[in-house]
Amino acid sequence: MDGMDTRDKRVPEPGADPGESDERNLDWLLAHVARGDQNAFEQVYDRLAGPVYGLIRKVLRDPAQSEEVAQEVLLEVWRNASRFDPAKGGAITWVMMIAHRRAIDRVRSASAEAQRDQRSAVAEAAASLDEVAEAVEASLDRERVRRCLNSLTDLQRESITLAYYGGYTYRQVAGLLNAALGTIKTRIRDGLIRMRDCLGVGA
Amino acid sequence: MKLLRNNPHALSGAYALDALDNTERERFEHHLQGCQLCARDVRDLRETATRLALAAAELPPPRLRERVLGAAARTSQNPPAIDPHPAVPPRHARIPRTTRIPRLAGVVAAAALAVAVVLGFKQAATQGRLDRVQAQEQAIDAVLNAPDARIVTHRATVGGTATVVFSGVSHKMIFTTAGLPPLPASKVYELWLMAPQSNRRAGLLPAPSGGRTAPLLASGLTAGDKAGVTVEPAGGTSQPTTTPILEIPLAG
Repeated sequence: MDGMDTRDKRVPEPGADPGESDERNLDWLLAHVARGDQNAFEQVYDRLAGPVYGLIRKVLRDPAQSEEVAQEVLLEVWRNASRFDPAKGGAITWVMMIAHRRAIDRVRSASAEAQRDQRSAVAEAAASLDEVAEAVEASLDRERVRRCLNSLTDLQRESITLAYYGGYTYRQVAGLLNAALGTIKTRIRDGLIRMRDCLGVGA
Repeated sequence: MKLLRNNPHALSGAYALDALDNTERERFEHHLQGCQLCARDVRDLRETATRLALAAAELPPPRLRERVLGAAARTSQNPPAIDPHPAVPPRHARIPRTTRIPRLAGVVAAAALAVAVVLGFKQAATQGRLDRVQAQEQAIDAVLNAPDARIVTHRATVGGTATVVFSGVSHKMIFTTAGLPPLPASKVYELWLMAPQSNRRAGLLPAPSGGRTAPLLASGLTAGDKAGVTVEPAGGTSQPTTTPILEIPLAG
């Protein structure tokens, strides 16, 4: 049909099975972004702006700061798309890693650290779980993540939530939960492995 | 510190969650370069962390889209980095990932749709149609979990994108859009299941909020159908009267 946009048919990924191209969409879109394709970037934005903004909000809480950091992250995806290395993981994981690191850089910066009331951190982590639980009512895969989180021991769950959603180092987590460093290190790892198996990652 | 020296591997979980301080992170990354097993471990745990990230998805303020896309148009890109420490394992030893990428892509679609569903909830709550939206959400969940569910994103000729999740087995599709140009009150975007012999009505796109339309569920999908959208008079028509702004083949 004239005027139809058939871009993704004109520029197939070399060696890709065309039937699979839609499922590889993000890795493939990112390759186009790396070549300066603004339309591809627009599609990446529409797919990932929600996850990027949501994760940053979870860590930073402040909406204005989160918006600012989300903008930095998405722009970094644009600027550094050529540095995405599929050998190290998928495009989504790459983008979410940038988002998480930017968010914790912000939350761990000297001034932010000073303002952080560590005493309320544990309560906050619990609250952040409740928020996940509430949002779940209107969600899909989120429900699976919540179920898997709930299958962990309390210490595993608290360690993972404080570290990932709270942006704390495992040393800080140990201090907050009043537990030995080695214990927290192990709980984070075996808790994540349980999450991995529960979610069927890498199976 | 003794434990750490003896078994750096035990830090892979904390590393995957970015929960190491700078010194420990550098030491662990050094260890990672010589440990293929750790690299695979870290990659799986990172993907697990990604699932935690996606579960937190939230609708960003609509103005962010313009800002980011505008800034990108004015920003030059960096050339590929020359990595002094190539990825472990090296490319020729890469573990096949083709079965895993689609799953994660599906999760992103689910996250994007979840955001859209929440949006639908908010709209419906104000209109007293919550039951219907809840029923629709269950139906959407069923399509997303169908064994043959696939996702496609296409650009419309008029700008904006549409994303479809469809399942041939359940004969259903879920349709959402982002960034379609707004229409005057006298017009509406109408969704069709298009086949050479016949076009079937599949619903009218709801009014957008923040540039996105809440997910629309359509049944009766048959092999060879395309999802198409046309601009029609308010209320819709029984057959398309204008050239589609979008046609997405729904091939399994």
